[in-house]
Amino acid sequence: MLRRLALLFALIAATGAAEAQTAPDPALVERGEYVARAGDCAACHTMPVPGAAPFAGGYAIPSPMGDIVSTNITPSKTHGIGNYSLEDFARAVRRGVLPDGTRLYPAMPYPAFSGIADDDIAALYAYFMLGVEPVDAAPAAATRLPFPFDVRALMIGWNVLFGGTGFAPAPGASPEVIRGQYLVQTLGHCGTCHSPRNLLMGEETGSRYLSGGSVGGWIAPNITSDPVAGIGGWTGSEIVAFLRDGYAPGKGVAGGPMAEAVEHSLRHLSDGDLGAIAAYLKTVTAVGDPGATRPAFGWTEARPVAVTAYETGNGPTQADLADASTLDGAILYNGACATCHGIDGAGTPDGTFPSLTASTTVGSDDPANLVLTISQGIDRKGAGGHAFMQAFGAELSDAQIAAIASYVTSRFGNPAVTVDEAAVSALRAGGPTPWIVPAAPWLVAIAGGAILLVIVGLLSLLFFRRRRHGHGFA
Amino acid sequence: METQFDADVIVVGSGALGANAAYELARQGKSVIILEAGVRIPRWKIVENYRNSSKKQNYNAPYPNEPWAHTSYDVDYIDNTGSFDFRPGMLKLVGGTTWHWAAAAWRYIPHDMKLRSTYGVGRDWPIDYDVLEPWYGRAEVALGVAGTGDDDQSGQGGAPFPPRSTPYPLPPEGKTYMFQRLQSRLRELGYNFIHEPNARTTAPYDGRPACAGNNNCMPVCPIGAMYSGDVHVDHAVRAGAELRTDTTAYRLEKGEAGRIAAVHYRRSSGEDVRLTARYFVIACHGLETPKLLLLSEVANSSDQVGRNLMDHSGIGLQFVADEPVWMGRGQIQQGGIFNWRDGPFRARHAAIKHAPSNYVPNTSVTQRLLKEGIMGAELEARIRDEAARWVDISTVFEMLPHPTNRVTPNYDRQDALGIPMLRVHYEIDDYVKAARPVAMNDFRNFVRGMGGAVVDDDTGWQNRDHLMGSVIMGADPADSVVDGDCRTYDNPNLFLATTGVIPASGVINPTLTGVALAIRLADTIAREV
Repeated sequence: MLRRLALLFALIAATGAAEAQTAPDPALVERGEYVARAGDCAACHTMPVPGAAPFAGGYAIPSPMGDIVSTNITPSKTHGIGNYSLEDFARAVRRGVLPDGTRLYPAMPYPAFSGIADDDIAALYAYFMLGVEPVDAAPAAATRLPFPFDVRALMIGWNVLFGGTGFAPAPGASPEVIRGQYLVQTLGHCGTCHSPRNLLMGEETGSRYLSGGSVGGWIAPNITSDPVAGIGGWTGSEIVAFLRDGYAPGKGVAGGPMAEAVEHSLRHLSDGDLGAIAAYLKTVTAVGDPGATRPAFGWTEARPVAVTAYETGNGPTQADLADASTLDGAILYNGACATCHGIDGAGTPDGTFPSLTASTTVGSDDPANLVLTISQGIDRKGAGGHAFMQAFGAELSDAQIAAIASYVTSRFGNPAVTVDEAAVSALRAGGPTPWIVPAAPWLVAIAGGAILLVIVGLLSLLFFRRRRHGHGFA
Repeated sequence: METQFDADVIVVGSGALGANAAYELARQGKSVIILEAGVRIPRWKIVENYRNSSKKQNYNAPYPNEPWAHTSYDVDYIDNTGSFDFRPGMLKLVGGTTWHWAAAAWRYIPHDMKLRSTYGVGRDWPIDYDVLEPWYGRAEVALGVAGTGDDDQSGQGGAPFPPRSTPYPLPPEGKTYMFQRLQSRLRELGYNFIHEPNARTTAPYDGRPACAGNNNCMPVCPIGAMYSGDVHVDHAVRAGAELRTDTTAYRLEKGEAGRIAAVHYRRSSGEDVRLTARYFVIACHGLETPKLLLLSEVANSSDQVGRNLMDHSGIGLQFVADEPVWMGRGQIQQGGIFNWRDGPFRARHAAIKHAPSNYVPNTSVTQRLLKEGIMGAELEARIRDEAARWVDISTVFEMLPHPTNRVTPNYDRQDALGIPMLRVHYEIDDYVKAARPVAMNDFRNFVRGMGGAVVDDDTGWQNRDHLMGSVIMGADPADSVVDGDCRTYDNPNLFLATTGVIPASGVINPTLTGVALAIRLADTIAREV
């Protein structure tokens, strides 16, 4: 970035055409980089592989409709957004409409971005034009959704309903809370995952805002201020620690997509902004869960286990040493988990290996994140270092992961929560599919049929009226 | 002439060397079948086997030793006819023996590879260090080696050596307390400690967590921070290779023009299968590889297959220091004293490496005290005291290749598949024996420098499980099995990925060199297939 800026300055100086009004403002570019962090643009537009060119696209974002491939948003004039005017850029970011009229899918969170302030848009534009290296290449793949989702014009109607309504500061709130609201609602687009979706995949922005959603099988928990179902029981500093490091002692760790948000976005935010997010979240209208009796982090006691439950002795034959078929959760936990988390689940005091008690992941009524953490592991860079847990999905069967998850909830979490093999298989396949995906082709057929019926009806009416007229004439 | 093949390349053996060769070939778009005599066992199961084992000091006990897939540690598997009981712990399972190594990942230094022309003893490699150097770098990346580029690894206390074109992929481990204490006190006597580069991660790397100091590299790293060959078996399979377990290769079938046409394997069920390929890579370690060649009567016009067998035959020292050094805290080994790694003395006696072990010594301490009849409160007090002050030095010597030190199929004894077991004839040579007094003098200095009292300084010769020389590499087909590319002189489509090709043993663990050679031979094959 600095190299490009330096080049630009050099060019301007050399040509003697240094009109003050066209010179790039390094502070604006730098601010745009921060806005891009807060918006987590890289999460989708940079491939998650070492050495990937920033913002060159190509990342396949899994969606229930199929993979949506992110685009090249470098300032390349041939393959990126190098020809965009500020107005083009603003329309794409806030409304999901490209200069040629193409409608974006809402994998691009333009409903949230509709509220981005003008000065932030200008800073973002300056950053993407001047602070990002152009990449003159198209991503290896392109988005190919099945019918009817491949009809991008459908988004016109969807946008009328769910396309975002801009940013409206909460009346009477403090500047800190309003800043937090802007970061949560708009730049951070937290509701994209943490709010439930309605029947047409639109995000709930009303009374169920931030009351929990899911993404790729992972649960994005309720982060309203409810003390049991939400994060009302977290202190502000715990929320800040979680956002910055992905770990809040006594509360839990970030895994899956939240770990990515910490790594790519949240750990880079200022303490002031993280504090503002925490302050705002504490004001979000509580959404309770009548079935929940204690918060997920509220399971703080490990229930004991006898050594004879997990060290049962080696079998008598050599083949027994190779027989890895057991479905006994105590034995599996001892072999696969206890080395780091401890047989008592306490982990290490410094949190390098987190405790399994007082853990939102383990204590949740929904074991999805526990199952996916075992299966996919944790790989998260926070402000405090690199947290890593190896993925066990390759060396444990779905039934074995279910056995471990049930054992872990029975000893360290809510013992009423159990997991079976089918649930693990479904989660590893990406979680439940929204009804609209299998239904959409039928809907189109039904809609087509309905239109046909209307036409037939109108024609019939006309015919009838003509007859009547005729009759009348007759 | 075959026109249809089962695979472009068949790799026999799924240890670190075979797996890296297979992965490189699969990654470069070749069709690959990996044959493995043993089975796949997940790490958690091996950990469970270890936790439940009553033989905690037997590093082979957690691994299956089936009558159709013996480990070399099986007391009946190797019939020793020499004075030395050659009994390394080579495993048979997916990933091979790197399941229980201590992950030392040294490079040879240039003189190691030119021993004959520099010092007039032993043999030269047909290639030199500069040729192999780029593949050392790739092997270090594959294994995730943590190390410092600041040491003179020749042990002379000079500038960083040997030359490197790439940095270590991971920063070095912090030094354990014991390592720091020994280094600090023995440095005053002129001993140069070198910080060991090793394939234990110091940060998350390639799906592996950072080492957490479980001090359990042998018999199994419980978290997979230490490299083991199964990492690249999995990479190879993801890149398209096919893995077949429970497949013991027992014959290479000769085709036209000296080429190998097929490999025959047998399963524990007795099923026999013949597979064809354009190229074959034999990666069955330094004992089984020559056995397979000898059973097949291939690659042996030099009559050197199975000969020149070398290990870093060693001795040990245990003593109790005058201060607690807390052995067993941190990683199981971190390097050692390399003063005798290189110098003109190599014309007269073997190079020497002394490495402090860092296992938890309580079992050794307790066994000794029980033998002395110590019981009750005194026993507990002395375990606590001596376990804190225990020091264990593991010393290795550089062997020279001798055609009389050899491994052959034992036609008198067969495994459950009807395949001959092994016969080994191995004698410690005069070159090593001449170095023993030098090492014993060091032992006295170590004990003196640490204010210690000797427990045992006369262990006799010990196995170090570093198998070299048995399919020796050289420039002359008349006295060598493979050329500098690890291609057999007799069979142009047959390559050997084993430390058995190494013609000059030096004093360093040869695994990294083996992986570098395996990646290099894969590159050669990929150009030809």
